[in-house]
Amino acid sequence: MELEKIHYDNKIVKAFLIASVLFGIVGMTVGLLVAIQLFYPVFNFDFQYTTFGRIRPLHTNAVIFAFVGNAMFAGVYYSMQRLLKARMFNDTLSWIHFWGWQLIILSAAITLPLGITTAKEYAELEWPIDIAITLIWVVFGINMIGTIIKRREHHMYVAIWFYIATLVTVAVLHIVNSFEMPVSLLKSYSWYAGVQDALVQWWYGHNAVAFFLTTPFLGIMYYFLPKAANRPVYSYRLSVIHFWSLIFIYIWAGPHHLLYSALPDWAQSLGTVFSIMLIAPSWGGMLNGLFTLRGAWDKVREDPVLKFMVVAVTAYGMATLEGPLLSLKNVNAITHFTDWIIAHVHIGGLGWNGFLIFGVLYWVIPRMWGTKLYSTRLANIHFWIGTLGIIFYALPMYVSGLTQSLMWKEFTADGFLTYQNFLETTTKILPMYKLRAVGGGLYLIGVFIMAYNLIKTAASGAFIANEAAEVAPLVKASHKQGYWHQVLESKPILFTVLALVAILIGGIIELVPTFIIKSNIPTISSVKPYTPLEVQGRDIYIREGCLGCHSQLVRPFRSEVQRYDPKDGEYSKAGEYVYDHPFTWGSKRTGPDLHRIGGKYADSWHYRHMLAPSEVSNGSIMPAYPWLFEQTIDKSSTAAKIKALRIVGVPYEEGYESQAVADLEKQAAGIAAGLKKEGYETADDAEIVALIAYLQRLGRDIKADKTASN
Amino acid sequence: MKRILIILLTMAAALPVAAQDASGAASTDINLLFYITTGFMFVVAILVLFVAVYLLQVINVLAKKVEQERAARQGTAYQPEPGFFDKINNWLNDFVPVEKETTILMDHNYDGIQELDNHLPPWWKWLFYVTIIFSGVYLVAYHISDSLPLPASEYDQEVAYANAQIQKLKAANPAPAIDEANVTVTTDVAALADGKTTFTSICASCHLADGGGDIGPNLTDQYWKHGGSATDLFKVVKNGVQGTNMVAWGSSLSPEKIRNVVSYVLTLQGTTPAKAKAPEGDLYTPQGTTTPADTVKTQASL
Repeated sequence: MELEKIHYDNKIVKAFLIASVLFGIVGMTVGLLVAIQLFYPVFNFDFQYTTFGRIRPLHTNAVIFAFVGNAMFAGVYYSMQRLLKARMFNDTLSWIHFWGWQLIILSAAITLPLGITTAKEYAELEWPIDIAITLIWVVFGINMIGTIIKRREHHMYVAIWFYIATLVTVAVLHIVNSFEMPVSLLKSYSWYAGVQDALVQWWYGHNAVAFFLTTPFLGIMYYFLPKAANRPVYSYRLSVIHFWSLIFIYIWAGPHHLLYSALPDWAQSLGTVFSIMLIAPSWGGMLNGLFTLRGAWDKVREDPVLKFMVVAVTAYGMATLEGPLLSLKNVNAITHFTDWIIAHVHIGGLGWNGFLIFGVLYWVIPRMWGTKLYSTRLANIHFWIGTLGIIFYALPMYVSGLTQSLMWKEFTADGFLTYQNFLETTTKILPMYKLRAVGGGLYLIGVFIMAYNLIKTAASGAFIANEAAEVAPLVKASHKQGYWHQVLESKPILFTVLALVAILIGGIIELVPTFIIKSNIPTISSVKPYTPLEVQGRDIYIREGCLGCHSQLVRPFRSEVQRYDPKDGEYSKAGEYVYDHPFTWGSKRTGPDLHRIGGKYADSWHYRHMLAPSEVSNGSIMPAYPWLFEQTIDKSSTAAKIKALRIVGVPYEEGYESQAVADLEKQAAGIAAGLKKEGYETADDAEIVALIAYLQRLGRDIKADKTASN
Repeated sequence: MKRILIILLTMAAALPVAAQDASGAASTDINLLFYITTGFMFVVAILVLFVAVYLLQVINVLAKKVEQERAARQGTAYQPEPGFFDKINNWLNDFVPVEKETTILMDHNYDGIQELDNHLPPWWKWLFYVTIIFSGVYLVAYHISDSLPLPASEYDQEVAYANAQIQKLKAANPAPAIDEANVTVTTDVAALADGKTTFTSICASCHLADGGGDIGPNLTDQYWKHGGSATDLFKVVKNGVQGTNMVAWGSSLSPEKIRNVVSYVLTLQGTTPAKAKAPEGDLYTPQGTTTPADTVKTQASL
C-alpha cells in the first residue's frame, strides 16, 4: 500500500491557542475586577463603561467564547486533522473562521461596556453580531464536515462524534434563541415574551454549557488524555452509550434553571427528572477519562499535563453530580439566586474547562515547536496555585450562598422576617467575597506563570507550521463482525442527522407546547403594555445590566412573598410577563428582587438611591449611576420601539407610535414635576425619569384586578 | 504490638464507663441509665469488632500459609486470593485486568489511540437505571397521582402551616394585642434598644441614623406631617403614607416592634442632629392631645 505524505496545519492551531491564552488573561482579569467591585464598590469608578452590570457580561462572554471558545477550536483543529488523517478541508475557511471569531470577540468587547445588550445571559450580543456568529459557525461547519468527508480514516473516533454534536446543537441553539426584532442597528427585542422567552433562554443557556463547554471538551479529552497517558481508552461501549444518552438527555434539562418560577409545572418537572437522569451519562465521560489512566497513575505523579487533566475530569464529575442535585426542588429552593450557583459554575469553568485547556497547552505547545516544556517545575507550581485558587474560590461561595439563603428565609417566632432589610444579608457575606477574590487572583497568577512558561518553551524550539505525516489512503472496512455502531461511524452525514434528531426531540417537546397551548400562560386581564416612557426606562434597565444583580421573580415561598410583597401577598405569575420582550427575571440576587418594587417608595427615593445608593442604604454595594441624571432619553427611537414591539405581539394600537412621544413627554413631565415638589430639580427628558417610571410600574398591574382569566 | 494497642484501647474505653457508672448510681434518672447501658454496649461492640477483625486476620495468615504449603507440595506457583476490597472493586467495575487487556483491545488505531472494549461498569449501569426509575416515580407522584404538591399548593400549605403555628403561639401566650388604639410609649431599656436596631436597619435609610431627616422628614423637631402622638406615629409606621416614601411596615414588623421603634423615635425629640432637615408639617404639642404623660417625661429626660 502506497503511503501518502500530507501536512497537518499547525499554524491555525497556534493562532487559536494564542488567542485563547490572551483572551483568557483578559477575561479572568475582568472577572477579578467584578469580584472586587462586589466588596469595594469604588472600583466601579463611577464610570458607566466599567460598572458591574455592564462588565459582568464582558467577563462571562470573554471567558466562555474567547478563552474557552478559542481553545476549543484549537483543540478541534489539532485533533481532528490527526484523527481523520487529513489536513483541514480548506485553509482559507480556517482563517476566515479564526479572524471572524476574533472580530466577534472584539465587537463584544466594545458593545458590552457600551451597554448594547439583549439582556439574555451568554447571548447578550446584539443582532448584527448574532448574524456574524451564525455565518462564522457555518464556515466552521463547512470546514469540519469537509474535513470529515475527505478523511483517510474509515471510522470516526469518539472525539469526532462529540465535535459533530457540538456543531449541530450550537447552531440550533444560537439561531432559535437569537430570534429578535431589530429596532435599529444596535437594538432589538426578543421575539419571545416573558415565560416563553425565559424557557427559550434557559434551554439555550443550559445547553450552551452542554454543547459549548462540555461536549467539545469531552472530544478534546478523548484525544489528548489517552495521548498524554499513552494508554488505550477504557471502554468503547461506554463511549457509545454515554455519547448518545448525554446528547439526548442534556437538551431537556434547561427548565431546571426556572424551578419555582412562573414556568408551567410540567416543564419544571421535566427539567428536574432529565437532570437526574443526566448523572450517569455525564459520569460516563468522567469514568472513561479516569479509567483510561488505569496502569498509568505513576505517570500522573510525574507529569503536570496528566495532573491538570485528572483534576479537570474530577471537577467535571463533581459539577455534573452537583448540577442534578441542584435541580431537585428542595435543594434548588435554597441555592437558586445565591452564590452557590456561582461556586457551581466556577467548579466547571475553572476546574473542567480551565484545567483541561492548561493540560492541552502544556502537552501541545512543546510538540508544535518540536521541543520540551521549558520548566516542569513552573508547570507544577501553576498546578498547585491553580488548584488552591479553585478551592479558595468555591468554598467561600458555598458558605456565602448558604448563609445568605438561610438569612433570607429566617422567621421570628411571631411570623415576621428576622432580617427585614435585605442589605443585612449582603453585608454578612462580604468577607466571603473577599476570600473569593483571593481565590480568583491565585488562579490568574497561575495563568501568568503558564504564559511565561509557554513563551519560554516556544522560544526554545522552532515552530512546525506544517507537520508532515505519512498516511495510508482510505480503505473501506467491512462490518460483518463487530458492533452496529461502527457502521454509523463510517457514515458522517447519517451520523450528523441522527445527532440532530436526538437533540431536537427534547427541545421540541418542551418549547412547542409552551408556545401554542394557551393554558400554559394564564393571562391576567389587568396586565397592560408598558407606556412609551416605561419602555425607554426598561431599555435603560437592560442597558445598565440591572438584572445581573436583581431578579424580577418572587417565588412562591412564604419568605419571599413576605419580603417582597408583604401587603398583598402575591408571588410572580406567568400572566404578568406577557409583554416582557425580553424577560428580565435575572439569575442571581446580589440585591433584592424588584418585581414588586413599583409603588413601594416614592419617586424621590429612587432618585436619591440611583444617585448615591450607599447614602440611602448605609453599606450598600450597589454602584452609583450619576450619568442617568445627565444623559437624555433618545425620544427619536420611541416610534421604532413601539412598532417593533407591536410586531412581536404587544397590542399597541395601529398608529400609536405617532402619539407615543407626546405620551412619553406628558408622563415624564408629571414625574419631573413631582420630583421638583420634593426639591429634586431634574430635566423632563433625563434618563433617570424613564427608569423611575419603569421601576414604579413593576408588579403593579396584577393588583389592579386580581381576577385571572384563563 | 497490636495486642498492646488493644489492651490500651480497652482500658481507655473502660475508664469513662466506670466514671459514668459512679455518677449513674447516684442518680435515679432512667435516661442516664439508658445512656450508660447503651454506651457500655457500644464499647463492647467495638471491642468485639476489634477482636473479630484480629481473629479474621489470624485466620487469613494461617490460610495463606496452608495455601503456600499446598502450592509448594504440588510444585505450582502460589496464586494469592484477591482481597475483600479488590473483590468489591471488581464486582462494581467489572474491569478486565490490565495484564489481560490485549484480549479486549479493538483493532482500530486513531493517531496512535487505541480503544479497549471493557464492560459498562455495573455500578454505573445501576446508577443509570435508578435515576430513570426515580424520574418515572417523580413524574407520577407530581403529575398523575398528585401525591406531592406542586409549587402553588406547596406555597398554600406553607402559609397555612405558618399561620396555624402563629395562632397556636398567640393562644399559648395571651397578651393584649398592641394596636394604634392602645399603644403607649415604652421606656423599657431593652425595648428601646430593639427600637433603635429597627430604626438603624430600616428607617435610617430615609430619616438618617440620627433622625435628622433626608428623604424622609426630620424626626427630632416638634413638627409632624401626620401628628406627633404615639398613636399617630404608630399609624404612620404601620400603614405608611400613600404617595410618599413612607412604606407601610405593618405586614413586616410586629406590633410590638412598631411600638418599640415609635418609642425610640420619640426619644429623639429635641436632639440636635448635625444636618437637620427644615421642619415640615404642623407644630405638635403634646398637651393638645391624649398623649400619655410618660412621653413628656421621656422628652424631658433628654
